[in-house]
Amino acid sequence: MKNSFDEKILDEAKDWIKANQKVVLATVIQTWGSSPRQVGSRMIVNEKGDFSGSVSGGCVESAVVGECLSLIKDNKPCKKIEFKVSNESAWEVGLACGGEIAVYIEQIH
Amino acid sequence: MKIKTLEEILKKKSSKTEFAILTNLENGDSEIYLPGTSPKGEFSKYADEIENFFKSKKNGVIENSEIFVETYIKPIKVIIVGAVHIAQYLVDFAKSLNFEISIIDPRGYFASEQRFPEIKVINKWPKEAFEEIETNSSTALIALTHDPKIDDPALQYALKNKFYYIGALGSKKTHENRCQRLAEAGFTNDEINSIHGPIGIKLGGKSAPEIALSIIAQLVSETYKK
Repeated sequence: MKNSFDEKILDEAKDWIKANQKVVLATVIQTWGSSPRQVGSRMIVNEKGDFSGSVSGGCVESAVVGECLSLIKDNKPCKKIEFKVSNESAWEVGLACGGEIAVYIEQIH
Repeated sequence: MKIKTLEEILKKKSSKTEFAILTNLENGDSEIYLPGTSPKGEFSKYADEIENFFKSKKNGVIENSEIFVETYIKPIKVIIVGAVHIAQYLVDFAKSLNFEISIIDPRGYFASEQRFPEIKVINKWPKEAFEEIETNSSTALIALTHDPKIDDPALQYALKNKFYYIGALGSKKTHENRCQRLAEAGFTNDEINSIHGPIGIKLGGKSAPEIALSIIAQLVSETYKK
């Protein structure tokens, strides 16, 4: 049986929007191998770089924050980012677990 | 995602409706899918796949597509009998674990709103209280009063309705007596042995939050066994 372990990130997103912040929603959409967070895990980022929630065990969060800030700056609606062991820049960020994940970021507008 | 969609998602969540969020990863379009309905627009091509994701309660990208499906299921219902000190900590844990809690206690001084500001406390005897709560085999019962007058009818109801988790607070001796009463009431050994008593996993702690933790840990572990 499964419980709905809803981490209430979307509820928090609403609060941030109410407080007139720009919010980007990041969601784990695919995982390969051993990845710390399951598909559907979420994180939100505002224009100041504050974030809540998680898409990994702390391995790629800073990179995701950076991507979210660029999305706001360039005013783009969405982007898919893959963090793979074979991807050098992602390796620098360090998905220490050796897994691979795809994260989808989108502006809430 | 549009703010309107976000608001609709939050509304569906608070009304405990099951639904899925469909997202087109190419253009960022998203919409809410309700089971039994046909997905709209560009998502309609993937109606079968979306339904399958929904039925298996899975999240993921539909194969050979750019469509992401995230399903939302109803939280598990947990009924606590006894609006006691331990129940206050259970409410705290259940909040972050997203269990849906109802509390039954016929004793008005325990069942006060001041003690449980955010939870529905039914100030009735279990028999009448269960008429107000919809239950099924995915419901859990945590009996905390260790008063046979209050706990026993609730335990009997939970056994008859095949709740997936039934736990009862009390010492080994209290539990032995409880088992004997249930046997006299006609319950089989298998049924009686399915009750977790004394309740909780062994942590060693004796304080109210520690006992609550040991109960909630057992509840989570049993949830994944079913």
